[in-house]
Amino acid sequence: MLTVEENQRVTRVGPGTPLGKLFRRYWWPVCLSKELPELDGAPIRVRLLAEDLVAYRDSENKIGLVDAWCPHRRAPLFFGRNEECGIRCVYHGWKFNRNGDCVDMPSEPAGTTLQAKAKLLAYPTAEKGGVVWAYMGPKELQPAEPDYEWTRAPESHRYVSKTFENCNYLQALEGGLDTSHSSYAHNNKLGDRANLRQHDKAPAIDVERTDYGYFYVSQRKADAGTYVRVYHYVMPAQQMRASIIGYEGVRNKPARLDGHIWVPVDDEHTHIFNIMCAPHPEDELTPEAVETREKAAGRGKDDHIPGTFRLKRNQSNDYLIDRQMQKTQNFTGIVGVNTQDFALQEGMGPICDRSKEFLGTSDKAIVGMRRLLLDAIAVNERGGTPRALDPETYRKVRAYDRVIPEGADWHKVMEKDLVALW
Amino acid sequence: MVTPQDNERLTRVGPGTPMGRLLRRYWQPACLSSELPERDGAPLRVRLLCEDLIAFRDSEGAVGLVDAFCPHRRAPLFFGRNEECGIRCVYHGWKFDHHGTCVDMPSEPAGTTLQAKVRLQAYPTAERGGVVWAYLGPKELMPPAPDYEWTRAPAKFSYVSKTFEHCNWLQALEGGLDTSHSSFAHNNFNSNKSEPRQRDRSPRIDVERTEYGYYYVSTRDLGDDGKYIRVYQYVMPAQQMRPNNVGWFGGANEMPRADGHIWVPVDDTHTHAYNWMCAFDENVQFTPEWIESRETAMGRGSNDLIPGTFVLKRNPSNDYLVDRQMQKTKNFTGIAGVNTQDFALQEGMGPICDRSKEFLGGSDKAVIAMRRLLLEALDANEKGATLRGVETNTHRAVRPYDHIVPPGVDWRPIFDRELQAKW
Repeated sequence: MLTVEENQRVTRVGPGTPLGKLFRRYWWPVCLSKELPELDGAPIRVRLLAEDLVAYRDSENKIGLVDAWCPHRRAPLFFGRNEECGIRCVYHGWKFNRNGDCVDMPSEPAGTTLQAKAKLLAYPTAEKGGVVWAYMGPKELQPAEPDYEWTRAPESHRYVSKTFENCNYLQALEGGLDTSHSSYAHNNKLGDRANLRQHDKAPAIDVERTDYGYFYVSQRKADAGTYVRVYHYVMPAQQMRASIIGYEGVRNKPARLDGHIWVPVDDEHTHIFNIMCAPHPEDELTPEAVETREKAAGRGKDDHIPGTFRLKRNQSNDYLIDRQMQKTQNFTGIVGVNTQDFALQEGMGPICDRSKEFLGTSDKAIVGMRRLLLDAIAVNERGGTPRALDPETYRKVRAYDRVIPEGADWHKVMEKDLVALW
Repeated sequence: MVTPQDNERLTRVGPGTPMGRLLRRYWQPACLSSELPERDGAPLRVRLLCEDLIAFRDSEGAVGLVDAFCPHRRAPLFFGRNEECGIRCVYHGWKFDHHGTCVDMPSEPAGTTLQAKVRLQAYPTAERGGVVWAYLGPKELMPPAPDYEWTRAPAKFSYVSKTFEHCNWLQALEGGLDTSHSSFAHNNFNSNKSEPRQRDRSPRIDVERTEYGYYYVSTRDLGDDGKYIRVYQYVMPAQQMRPNNVGWFGGANEMPRADGHIWVPVDDTHTHAYNWMCAFDENVQFTPEWIESRETAMGRGSNDLIPGTFVLKRNPSNDYLVDRQMQKTKNFTGIAGVNTQDFALQEGMGPICDRSKEFLGGSDKAVIAMRRLLLEALDANEKGATLRGVETNTHRAVRPYDHIVPPGVDWRPIFDRELQAKW
């Protein structure tokens, strides 16, 4: 349980809020690289940490990320002309480069001194792993660019997609650090006792803090020993989990490392960046394998409202829940693993009221994550260095899962599994 | 006129507000029984007095009415599994019976002590007259389940429907206790001056307090034809009962009956109106065709609702499809449907009517008296005193009546017989 005040502190992300200030110390995903497919192409709208921005790929293939409104009379730059290394407002023709400098002010007399004074808010950007990243914090504190294993994996072994969620980021992140619910919400075959997560539905959870956040180990009893899953929480909002073996205990083809980053659009909306990475060089992520997996998660090609990152199965239609299916086939009556998550997370309301919850031992990882965030807010307010700013802290981090012999020490058995290869 | 402070007191219904506490002393309709047609069927979202709840009919036919969110991590129980006498959250499998007791906690180790500690907020329910009723107040003050006459009439002799209204409950209730507006807003035959309600458009209103609320007598003077007398009942906190013994044109009604509404606050700015009718005796049987024609005349026939909802197709988003030509030539409002006319006027006042700006007249006596009863009840409730209409014996025998009384005849003896429940 959190107090009402604590809940405010860990959920509000706007400029000037405690969490907003903490989050602005990190690089954040802005959009997929493929949303800006061409030089001098159409700008896109971006809303990130409750700020309205516009992103565009300029003539030099660099990404500009700037205020959505022209500083002159607040006309929308979304309608701007992206040309010759800058974006030009279509109201009075003022033009700005990706650093926010005004490079043309044709509506003023030649030689005007105004041009040197007008600045457009602009944030530094980077492209890594098929994602455009931005840093929105104080200039002097800007850390090195993000360097997670999956951002280094070759394109043949990596895939990133994006989905829009209608609620605060934290209740979504919590779902991502909660292996326990997969025995229920993601039970897609009622009565299947062979399923590893059905065999033991109350996993033992151990959380260990690290300098990037924590890892947590869940252990479930299995016929062949112990089913061990090691998850990582990489601050501030990334989960890494493994899908080396499937629900049936057989090695997945291809084996995968999966993950999400929950990126606050604002206090009540979130973009999820869904990451897939093949951990072994011999396993490629073919387009077919990717589509099969995305479809199972509920975000295959046909699952989106065209032209958006929104699911067709959404809050407005109760996710097309099928009560007959719920009685006979799966636990929720909802199709798509992450669609099941959305139903639960969005259904908590725009911002979950954590002053009314009642936690158990299966929620250890969630409690641990909240504690880290609250601590980091305090550290940041004191001028200290929060975890996971330096890429050195997380560069080697990898998740894994395995069934190990009963009584074996997972630390020893899985030591090599947990080190990045890419 | 009402001060802004009293207007707040009268209209706000959330937990902890004065009116919220008062309304929680009464049983309130939560949904129609027909919305929960089968045991272990899909749960239903209910918002009642600003509280988000879920209703479900369990394996034994009992209706559970519980918090919409699981107490564990606040996941929505709407998606829950209604099975084996309880609702099971699909997030981590916690299961609760209709009393709110946790009966399974499979995500925690066997033998956990947490299971005995966690409770799901659950409210007592009762089914009467095709309606699921709920009591949201303090346990120790819970009265017996409601027992209005129409809830006792057999199915063939009664009917209840439900409509959603986009405004505060009080301005809707006020419309229901105001016979005067029917001479105007519900004048659907502009040229016909022979209707009793057109012959006298400023009825005299007399209000008489009772232990359930009040009745009021409206008297329209029909000259040599006598007096048209209508006795309405206001059963606290939010029920109106009105008579339809006399037809619109002054003759005998084809279906002598009582009609009524209960205005149930969804929250401060939305209301569910429960619309009931009840035959005066067993000689009057409601056929499905007659019910449909009647509901259509009121504006809520089966084709008048947005499918799968209780929202009218004629609604604020389309100005109730007002037809200005019809308004010039056929009826007073240009809007079809008696209660749709009401909605246009009530919803049109805004989410909560600002009563500090109103200007009342003699025809508003019943409205003023109702507000006065509610304000007094707020005080009585704070002081722990008895409230009108809570105990079933105060409202069990109540029935409305109307009649055209010949000149010089005392209406009271005639009405005394007829104002008694027969079911």
